Amino acid sequence: MDNVTVAAPAGAQHTAGTTKIGWGVPILIAAGLALLVLGPWLFGGYLLSILIKAYFFAILAVTVDILWGYTGYLTFGHSAFFGIGAYAAGLMFLHQGFSGGTIALGLVLAIVASAALGGLVGWLSFYRGASPFFATVISLVLPIVATQALLSGGTWTGSSSGITGYETFAFSLETWYWISGGLMAVVGLVGWLIVRSDAGRLLTSIRDNEERCSYLGINVPRVKIILLTATAGVAGIAGFGYGSFSGVVAPELAGFVLGTELIIWVALGGRGTLWGPMIGAILISVATAYLSSSIPFAWQLILGTAFVLVIVLLPQGLIPLLIKPFGLHGQAGKIPELVERAAPETHAGTGPTALDMQGVTKSFGSLNVLQGINLNAEAGELIGLIGPNGAGKSTLMRCMSDGAARTAGSVHLCGRDIERRPPEDCVRFGLGRKFQNANIFETLTVAECLRMAGTTLEKPALFRRQPQLALPPYALEVVRKTGLDAKLGTVAQDLSHGEQQALELAMVLGLQPKIVLLDEPTAGLTKTERTQIGDVLSSLAHKYKLCCLLVEHDLDFVEEIATRTVVLHQGEIVMQGSFQEVVNSDLVKTIYSGAHPAGHEESN
Amino acid sequence: MINIKKIAQAGMVGLTLLSSQVLAEDPIKIGVAVGLSGANSVVAPGVVQSSELAVSQINASGGILGRQVELEIVDDASGAVGAQQAFNTLILRQNVDAIIAMETSAARNAALPVVSRGKVPYIYTSFYEGKSCNKWMYVNGWVPEQQVTPVVDYLSENEGAKTFFLVGNDYSFGRGMLGFTKDYIEEVGGKVVGEEYLPIDSSNWTSIISKIRSVKPDALISATAGGAPNVSLIKQLKSSGLSVHYGNLAVDEGTARTLGDDATGMYMSASYLTSIDSPENQAFKQALKEKFGDDMKTPNELSVPQYEAFFLYKAAVEKVGSTDSAKVIEALDDVSYTGPRGAIQMNKSRHTPITMRLAQVQADGSIKILETFANVQPNDQCPQY
Amino acid sequence: MALLLDWLSTAGILFIVASGLLMIFGVMKIINFAHGALLTLGGYTAYVVTQLDLAPWLSWPLALFTGILVGMLIEQFVMRPLYKRPLDAILATWGLSIIIGQLIVMTFGREVKFADTPLPGTWSVAGMDYSAYRLLLILVAVVLCAALTALLSGTRFGVKTRAVIMNEQLASALGINAGRIRFITFSLGAGLGTLAGTLITPLSSLDPAMGIPWLVTAFMLVMVSGHSMLSLMVTCVVLGACQMLVSTYTTPVLGGLSIAVLSALILRIRPKGFAYG
Repeated sequence: MDNVTVAAPAGAQHTAGTTKIGWGVPILIAAGLALLVLGPWLFGGYLLSILIKAYFFAILAVTVDILWGYTGYLTFGHSAFFGIGAYAAGLMFLHQGFSGGTIALGLVLAIVASAALGGLVGWLSFYRGASPFFATVISLVLPIVATQALLSGGTWTGSSSGITGYETFAFSLETWYWISGGLMAVVGLVGWLIVRSDAGRLLTSIRDNEERCSYLGINVPRVKIILLTATAGVAGIAGFGYGSFSGVVAPELAGFVLGTELIIWVALGGRGTLWGPMIGAILISVATAYLSSSIPFAWQLILGTAFVLVIVLLPQGLIPLLIKPFGLHGQAGKIPELVERAAPETHAGTGPTALDMQGVTKSFGSLNVLQGINLNAEAGELIGLIGPNGAGKSTLMRCMSDGAARTAGSVHLCGRDIERRPPEDCVRFGLGRKFQNANIFETLTVAECLRMAGTTLEKPALFRRQPQLALPPYALEVVRKTGLDAKLGTVAQDLSHGEQQALELAMVLGLQPKIVLLDEPTAGLTKTERTQIGDVLSSLAHKYKLCCLLVEHDLDFVEEIATRTVVLHQGEIVMQGSFQEVVNSDLVKTIYSGAHPAGHEESN
Repeated sequence: MINIKKIAQAGMVGLTLLSSQVLAEDPIKIGVAVGLSGANSVVAPGVVQSSELAVSQINASGGILGRQVELEIVDDASGAVGAQQAFNTLILRQNVDAIIAMETSAARNAALPVVSRGKVPYIYTSFYEGKSCNKWMYVNGWVPEQQVTPVVDYLSENEGAKTFFLVGNDYSFGRGMLGFTKDYIEEVGGKVVGEEYLPIDSSNWTSIISKIRSVKPDALISATAGGAPNVSLIKQLKSSGLSVHYGNLAVDEGTARTLGDDATGMYMSASYLTSIDSPENQAFKQALKEKFGDDMKTPNELSVPQYEAFFLYKAAVEKVGSTDSAKVIEALDDVSYTGPRGAIQMNKSRHTPITMRLAQVQADGSIKILETFANVQPNDQCPQY
Repeated sequence: MALLLDWLSTAGILFIVASGLLMIFGVMKIINFAHGALLTLGGYTAYVVTQLDLAPWLSWPLALFTGILVGMLIEQFVMRPLYKRPLDAILATWGLSIIIGQLIVMTFGREVKFADTPLPGTWSVAGMDYSAYRLLLILVAVVLCAALTALLSGTRFGVKTRAVIMNEQLASALGINAGRIRFITFSLGAGLGTLAGTLITPLSSLDPAMGIPWLVTAFMLVMVSGHSMLSLMVTCVVLGACQMLVSTYTTPVLGGLSIAVLSALILRIRPKGFAYG
């Protein structure tokens, strides 16, 4: 199973079905805002200067949380973008002087350079088939490259000394406090709006199950690259602010040590919560400033130990743990209302063939798993693919749904050649694939999963939660028949096995596919559930004229619903026809009993 | 009869005692920022010791203006970001009256804006590349005009060196020193055949050493950061088997001693050496030994100016009768102190003439003074002051 | 000639440092971020030996022993709960390196220190004097590579380890105690890391953060080289050459970068890196 499993992450603390408002978080936020406004009257000069810097770091922490806590991309290198922003300020003001023009130019440079670098790193790290390890390793290399680039800049970048003594804003500490605090509040707010919006759920979907995302037509690499570019730009702004305030920029600001500190703040503060890392960054920065002169060794040791303990024992972080007694959960959000979306009519016989495979072969080295597969399927057909284990059924499915899977031959979906395209493109051509294990988004609610399914048809709202959830009629049928419409607010991992299977089917149908692939849809279902699914599939084919292809071991099930049966044996299609024909043939009997290798009959 | 006079007298005495107690309890805080970690960490313990010695001697003789002196020591991590943090802590949180610090140039440059904002007198006690000026800063260490010329002169006149290879750390000190050195070499008719830099935290000189090997210069001059980079360069040079006349602009006696025979034959130019034969130096070494015993770190070019700076500050404060920053800054160029290095007065645009000694490391680890130059001028480092 | 020796000794040093990491990554698919701290630990072992006025050679077995011990503790208490969460394992080991680093600082102080070299002086090679110790390290690297390759291909333990590398579930099903294999390889890998630290210390200096620059370089080498010690050696030789060339013909700063950047590019183009098959 090539699923990349990231541990069931913390951050999703929904209680099934409730929209309880916990007061812990809102109080925290109110307190934070109060401190932001009243700070200069409450804090002395030293603490103010520490906090100003801490707020800039908190902005960084928020971006890292979005990348890591929400999207699952562990990055040690986000400090590089911060450093670029800081040096943009330093270099601009040192070499070009300080004026309205240079300020604007510097800011633009900070954003553009960081975002461009973010895009480059994204291109390098996120591509089809990339492992998360590789992305993390690249994120390690990034700050090192950035630091060395700064160090090799000679007198222009100040090398090891950094840049100091340039003219900058003559604001008082109080003004700076409000500027950096305000910026942090804005970034926090925007971030919060995004992650709780419908589009924000996309991030969590990616973290939970990338494969499912691509099989819902979502171009995951592109989403990640865009995300990294955007967060890099934000980090650049924060860096610019920091550089303008402190009057000193040094290579440490772009370095590996700061990058890892960010991860520590996010982990201790509570990944996937946004406010947790913010608070974590601020608290730890302040504590470090005060404690590193009195108990330098002990403090670092405490931090390190806390970090290890949190990772091993308390993945959700320390601060959420402390707030829990007061009620963590913000509003869980309104449950949307189900509405029907009109599905385009498909008539059997018109339009291109749903599936057309010619001469498809798949080999691993000298081992041929599939040979010379020619298979057609039309709208309205329900094809049962049977054969003993090891015949190549799953491989065949994969070759239909992923252009890179086959070794030779051609596959056309609804008239479009899938060439070497990734699954998300195949989905856009009209394919839907349901996996054998319930392949859903574990920490999302049923409603959110279903909404994700419609991404290619209806872009999810970026800042809001849509009050309505539109599904095509057949998907609605599934949802209502299996009782999922009463559980829209339930988190997916809390559903029963059968319900999860139904959810996945509904998600796949939500794509409004023209051809649906199902891998052992009845596995693990109760008798009632089996009948339900049989009805659903039949109506999909007969009433809505979808083309369905199922791999099945349950021959009774196939007999009940299939319009055509295809037998696969040792990588070749040995027979096609009605169920009766196939099951009664001598050929198939010998195949299933394994008496002797079947002859190669050309099937028609 | 109640003797009013006597009661009044007693009252006066009591009041005076009380007020002097109150006054005496208000100590003068002097901040010391030093590289407890990072490139300077090798030399930091010595600097801390000489600071502590100076303070304990001053306090033992009644403090400054009757007030005890308190030392605040913070780590500047030998770098820019650390120095900013350290100076912020000293000025904003500890509210020190003055800062006396030996630091890398990176640290100093980052600290100056904080000093300007905080308006605190700052005596910079390290040697450095020169031309660093700030309204609130005085320097009692040497600048290239004082230190480089003896080395280059000796190498070209006595050892006949015509071609020079320059190696340093890539920061203001390294570049500043070698920039001056290059100009001076060309002035006296020599030629610079190579100039290489490594970042301040690097210690892998392998490829640079290979370059030196292939170019075969008559002499090598290096200006690295004080501690680790210096030592690793010397060690790696020695183990590579390369033999060349070598003048090290940044080495101090203590480091040279710990290196043992890795440093034999190396030339250095210093304002302080333990072998200086003067009553002040003998007294200083004696006092250091008494206070620290076996833990005593060899005093050197970086720790002795630090020691002297405390007395210069004391003299300035006592001259104007207060710790007010502006007044102290005025007074600092009028006061002088005769310490282990000789007479020090920072009256040449914030810098001081110094007696320099050209020396060579011997096989037994001792430093032999080859020539002494009295009162070498720093020239005009900060014309505006 | 000097360039050639620089190249070979650099490659050797890279191999020595990366071998422990490869052992762990190969078997457990986990990047041990504590490797840098283990290197530092090894360095301080050399320092202790110097302080105690013992023969510097003694630091080698001492370091190996210390590393194995520490590795066992780490595997038992930190790695075991995290097998299913590889990204979190990276983080936990990074946290460990902070802890180890701080313990070192608390014991030895923050200052830069120095250890004696076991082999001072130079040897004459092809008419040129070159650092004897660096030449020795070339030898050590070759011997280490041979020994580890022999261990992994020749012994029962080696075969079991490779089975676990290839397919842990299958290996377990066949009765191989995967847990024990992981325990042993982690400890061994940690020991190698500490040994590497003690071997590289005489070349420069040691301070509490000395392991960190090596960390990333070692990772990139391991990621590019695949699973065998031999391909790691090849990787070190090739990338070591690149580093040397870049350092010599541009600046040493860019040279330090070259391994990381080149590795990233190689992996992007050919995800298997230098591995065969």
